[in-house]
Amino acid sequence: MDTPIYYSKAEFIETDTGNKVSRRATIAGPQNIILGGKTIISSGAIIRGDLRRTGPGHAVVISLGRYCLVGEGCVMRPPYKTYRGNFNYYPMKIGDHVHIGANSVVEAATIGNHVVIGKNCIIGKFTIIKDCAQVADNTVIPPNTVVPALALFSGSPGRFVEDLPESTQELVESQTKQYYTRFQPLDR
Amino acid sequence: MWPSIQYYCPCLSSANTLTPPPPVLASSSASFHSLHNLYFCEECDAVRCNRCVSVEVSGYYCPNCLFEVPSASVRAEKNRCARNCFSCPICRATLSVVASDPPDDGTGRPVTPLNNVGEAPYLLYCNYCRWDSSEVGITFEKPTGLAAQLQKYEDSAPESLEYERLKEHFEPFLRASSLSSSTHLLPPTSHHLHTSSATAAASAALSRDIPGISKYNPVARSRSGRDRTTNKDEMPEYKSRVEVGLFGQLGSGGDDADVELLRYTETAGEIAKLEQRWGNSWTTSLRMSELRPLRIPLHSKVSKRCPACRHILIKPEQKAQSVRYKIKLAAANYLPALSVGFPQTQAAKRAAGKGADSRNAGVMLAGITNNAFRVALTNPLYDPIQVRLSPQRVTDGRGFQVSLPLTPFSIGAFAEAWEYDDDEDMFDMEDDELGLEAGRGSRDKDARGRAKNVGVLERRANVTVVGGEVNVHKSYRGQVKFNMLVSYTYRSDDPLPSEDGAGTPSRAVVKTPEVKTFSFYTVVDLGPVLSKDDSESMQQV
Repeated sequence: MDTPIYYSKAEFIETDTGNKVSRRATIAGPQNIILGGKTIISSGAIIRGDLRRTGPGHAVVISLGRYCLVGEGCVMRPPYKTYRGNFNYYPMKIGDHVHIGANSVVEAATIGNHVVIGKNCIIGKFTIIKDCAQVADNTVIPPNTVVPALALFSGSPGRFVEDLPESTQELVESQTKQYYTRFQPLDR
Repeated sequence: MWPSIQYYCPCLSSANTLTPPPPVLASSSASFHSLHNLYFCEECDAVRCNRCVSVEVSGYYCPNCLFEVPSASVRAEKNRCARNCFSCPICRATLSVVASDPPDDGTGRPVTPLNNVGEAPYLLYCNYCRWDSSEVGITFEKPTGLAAQLQKYEDSAPESLEYERLKEHFEPFLRASSLSSSTHLLPPTSHHLHTSSATAAASAALSRDIPGISKYNPVARSRSGRDRTTNKDEMPEYKSRVEVGLFGQLGSGGDDADVELLRYTETAGEIAKLEQRWGNSWTTSLRMSELRPLRIPLHSKVSKRCPACRHILIKPEQKAQSVRYKIKLAAANYLPALSVGFPQTQAAKRAAGKGADSRNAGVMLAGITNNAFRVALTNPLYDPIQVRLSPQRVTDGRGFQVSLPLTPFSIGAFAEAWEYDDDEDMFDMEDDELGLEAGRGSRDKDARGRAKNVGVLERRANVTVVGGEVNVHKSYRGQVKFNMLVSYTYRSDDPLPSEDGAGTPSRAVVKTPEVKTFSFYTVVDLGPVLSKDDSESMQQV
C-alpha cells in the first residue's frame, strides 16, 4: 500500500528541515528561494530564483511552503510585466501541500494551500490559484486567470469543470504527507 | 483504475433491500462512491452521497474577481458578474482589459505612457486566442465598470425587452397569488386554479403566436374557461412586443437567415460552435465573427442536508474563498478507510529501484489458486474498533473465489496526527517489515501454503493490514470485482437512548449499550484477470 518511491541517495541533498533537492535540478539564485521544509525538488526541475525584482535589497523571488513537490522537468519562473514603462519580475508565492506534476511550466503569482497541478500543464503569468483547487493533466491556464477555491480546471484553455468534494483539504494533505514518507533513499 | 475500493450508498435501492447490486452490472457503479465523496448523517446513522443529499445555495460569488454577490442582486444581474469579468466568446478564457496602442508620434520609437492606465479606448483582449472586442465593435471609454458600459447592448436586445415585459405582465398576478396563498392559506385546489390560469394565459399566447400548436387551442380554452368562472383574479391577455416571425429580421437569426448564411459559408470555421452559443442567455448569430463577450456566470457555495431528517451535513463558511466549513459531516470521519493493494514482491521492489513499472506484481492470474492482495483499514475514531469483513459470494462460483479473514480483528485508535507527523524512524522500520512480509509471502506461494497470506498481516497505530487471496478459475476472463460487507463495532460516547438504533436495521445494540455496530457495503475491484501469456507479454512491454 505504502509502497516506497526510491531515489538514489547520492542524487538528493537533504536539508535540516527535511527538504530534498535533486542535484540534477537547476536552482538559479538559491539565495532568493525559500523552501518551507519537507519539500521535494525532483531531478530536471528548473527554479529561477535569479529573476528578481530590480532594485536594492534582498528579495524573495520564489517561496514554497511545506510538503510541496516540484515534479521532474518542471520550470518555475516568476511572472513579469512592464508596468509604467518598467520591465520587472514579480515574486511567486506557493503555499503548503502543493504538488506540481512532471514537466509543467508555472508562472503563477500565487498558489494557495493544498493545490494539485497535473503533469504537462502550463500555468500562465500572474495566475492566481486559490486553496484546494486542482488543475488536471495537460491543462493550459492562460495568463491572468483566477482559479477559485475547490475548483477543478481542465482543458486548453483551462476551464472550470467541477467543484471538488468538501474533504479535498484532508485528502490532499494526507496524500502529500504520504508522498513525502514514501520518498525514500536507496543506497547503491 | 484498479485496484480500487468504493463505498455503497443505498439511496438508489428500495428501502427494504440494503444489499448493493451485483458489481458485474454496469449500472452498479452509480451506487458506489469513493469515501471522501460521502457524508454521514449522525441523526439517521446512515451514509449519504451527493446523489441523495438536498442542496441549498448559501452564497454566490464570481469565480474570476471572487466578489461575493449578495443574493438580492443576483437576479437583477442575471446570474452573471456585473463588474469587469468577461469570458472570451471564442475560447471561454478570461478576458483582460487592455489599453489601445499609443498614437504613433512619427519617430518610430514607442512612446512611454504617462500613467499606468494607458490610452482610451480600452479593449477586452483574450490572452489565449488573441480575440479582442474591437472585432465586434466593443470599446470602452474607461477601464472600469465595463459591465455597466455594456449594459445598454444587453438591455436593448429584443429578447431581453420581451422578457422584461413578460415579467412586468405577470408580476401583479404573482404578487397577488403569493399574497393570497400566504395569508389565507388556500387549499391546494385553488392553488391549482392559479397555476392553470397562468398556463392558460401562456398557452393562449403561445397558440396565437405559433400556428403549429393551434389545434390544442379548443381543449385548453374550454378547460381554462371553466376554471375562470371560479377564479377571481383574471389574467389580462398578454400582447407580445414583436410578432414571432419578426425576430429573424432583428438580426438574431432565424430559419431563412440561417439558411441564407449557410448557403454562402465556405469553411466550417465561420459558424460558431454549439459550445460557443449555448451558454448565452439569448439566441445569437450563427456567425463566429459576431459573437460577443460574455459576462462570467456566478458560482455558488452550497450547504447540504440529509434527505431524510433535514439535518445539515455541509455548511460552508460565509467567505467565498474559505475552504473551511462550519459543519462538515464527512463519512471519512466515521467509517474506517479501506484501501486495497497487492503485496510487494522482492522482484517488484528491485524493479521499482531501477525505475521500472512495478505494477505487474499485482496482476491476477487465471488458474492460480492464491493471487494475494491486501486490504489496509484505517480507523478514524478515537477509540479502537473491531472490524469484520464478509465478502459477498459471487453468484457464479466458477469464476473466482475470494478468501479473507472472516473473524473480527481490531484496529487501533486514531491519535492526533501530530503524534506521527515528525516520526521519521517509523517508516524505515515499517519498510523493513513490509519487505520481510513480502519475502515470506513469496516463499509461501512456492510451498502452496495459503495460511500465511490470509489473515492479519500488520498492525501499526490506527492501521491494520489484512491479506486475502483470490482463487481464479482457469477459464475465467474479466474483472475480479466483488461486494464486501464491512461491520465494525465501536464504543459510543453517549449512552444510547433506546429509540436510537432500534429504528435503523443497520445498527444493533450489542452486549452493553455503550458498544454499537455499524455496517456498510463496499465494492473491491482487483482488476482484470490475465492469462499467463498475457502477463508475459505485458512484462516485455
